[in-house]
Amino acid sequence: MSDLLLDVCQVSKTFSRGGLLSGQRIAAVKDVSFQLDAGRPEIFAIIGESGSGKTTLSRMILNIETPTSGKLRFAGVDLATIRTGARRLAFMHKVQPIFQNPFESFNPLRRLDGYLFMTHRRFIAADWRGTPETAVDEALHKVGLSLKEVSRRYPHELSGGQLQRVAIARALLANPKLIVADEPVSMIDASLRISIVNLFKRLRDDLGISIIYVTHDLATAYYVSDRIMIMQQGSVVESGDARTVLNAPQHPYSRQLREAALLPNPQQAVL
Amino acid sequence: MLAETTQDYLPDEAQPILSVRDLRAHFRTDRFGVKRDVKAVDGISFAVRRGEIYGLAGESSSGKTTLIKTIAGAVRPPLEVVGGRVDFAFLPGYGGLHRAPAAEVARIRWRHLSYIMQGSMNVLNPVRRLRSAFVDFAYPHIGGSRKQFEREVVAHLARLKLDPSVLAAYPHELSGGMRQRATIALATICRPEVILADEPTTALDVVVQKEVLGMISGIRREIGSSVLLVTHDLGVHAHVTDRLGIMYAGRLIEEAATAEIFRNPLHPYTRHLISSLPRIGDDVPREGLEGAPPNLADPPPGCRFHPRCPLAMEVCRRQVPATLETAPAHRVACFAVNRSEEA
Repeated sequence: MSDLLLDVCQVSKTFSRGGLLSGQRIAAVKDVSFQLDAGRPEIFAIIGESGSGKTTLSRMILNIETPTSGKLRFAGVDLATIRTGARRLAFMHKVQPIFQNPFESFNPLRRLDGYLFMTHRRFIAADWRGTPETAVDEALHKVGLSLKEVSRRYPHELSGGQLQRVAIARALLANPKLIVADEPVSMIDASLRISIVNLFKRLRDDLGISIIYVTHDLATAYYVSDRIMIMQQGSVVESGDARTVLNAPQHPYSRQLREAALLPNPQQAVL
Repeated sequence: MLAETTQDYLPDEAQPILSVRDLRAHFRTDRFGVKRDVKAVDGISFAVRRGEIYGLAGESSSGKTTLIKTIAGAVRPPLEVVGGRVDFAFLPGYGGLHRAPAAEVARIRWRHLSYIMQGSMNVLNPVRRLRSAFVDFAYPHIGGSRKQFEREVVAHLARLKLDPSVLAAYPHELSGGMRQRATIALATICRPEVILADEPTTALDVVVQKEVLGMISGIRREIGSSVLLVTHDLGVHAHVTDRLGIMYAGRLIEEAATAEIFRNPLHPYTRHLISSLPRIGDDVPREGLEGAPPNLADPPPGCRFHPRCPLAMEVCRRQVPATLETAPAHRVACFAVNRSEEA
């Protein structure tokens, strides 16, 4: 089992709402299983519409939410057994998140370099030989920025694309094995979107980081991912090799999604 | 800064329903002695024909929403119209809704010109049922007895495949897609000549998005309205718009028939935008555009794209390129493109 980076095993999550008598139970994720191989870094896309449970699933992988049933193991460690602060820190060292809206993931009143230095202090300062500045600068260089551009800046001074790249640099500082990116490009303009997506490819190829890419955008998922998984109302309806699935979707819901995706070909206009 | 813009080419059309000429709208603030002048719309000219869907594409902060707000007459400080005019075929003489008297605006709104906004939750009053919204907006224009009005509303909802029961619902009881369809019903019940749609599907899921867009183009076919559709999603433009204008940093840099823009983009920015779109079934690597869009409070002189442009020349740093008709019905504002065409 230890050669699996991430093992999601029959995971379900049910939210209850209301009181004891008139309670309502909502199954957000139903019996989802998938594995990521430790030896072969890949980009794994989770696709679904709003309400499909894709965000709940990614929150469970980040150990922010605990599953109602089923098990998640990261590098052989059951996430449910991570209780102490030290073990949680060790987990966060290896698994890092990137969220949808970069303007919401940073506090507007705090400087950006503060976040980067804090992450450095928490995760790698003990093993780092050089100054914190070199570590932060190195991480920013991986995403095409430099400390000079970011230093002493507030979030509103950067564009959405730059800010999202700072968020990725922050995640990279911890030297993770897995990045969970929840809709990382949906708030970003088309001309910058592709540069973020290309960055993911580079992280996979050069740094050997696996990426779970949660999205509703089929076109970018096709472009970057190796495998995809399509979810509908909490259940997996289809999964497999990204090209195979998207070129010839089998399940009626995947076919519906594929047809609804408006591809930029005016010759084949459907409306 | 030399701003010698030669006379812009304007499409010579018998009677466009909406024409915008050299429109300039700036956000002006003067606080604590610090003056800021954000040129969000900086000299835009275009015309929308009767019955066509005209698309406007561009990144955030390219001035799309400011442009559409100015056309709708929603000009409130710090936004100021600094120059140019907006002419509607049904409102001659004033040069824009923002200059028309209030009584005239009340007559035009919803009856001749309506507006579909991005967040449909913010359009509808959360504490009133949809029926009241229809009465508030449309009853003064349609008139007649209330019974007759209600019959008309139900018939219109049926045309848009909406159940009459939505009239009794509060906005929060409807899903996002339902709500957006209800606002479209609201915007089209008076059969307006022009519909302004600002990112009407951006918050919606793909399947619902397709339905809503199908509804907009169906309305156009049925009642012959012109639609000005603003969205940054080029996939949407490819499927619904007839002509497409590309905006960059407050200016219209290219305009042509949508199919022509996709087949033969001329401006370096448009060319990049089109070529960077990922497509299902196509594995060619794409390149991102370097740099960030300019700060509109202090835009670069000359062509605003020159710091990111691969074809930038000396003249681009000094002069603003004029928008010229490079190919038939294809307007581009770029020195490099227009020069090579002349040669």
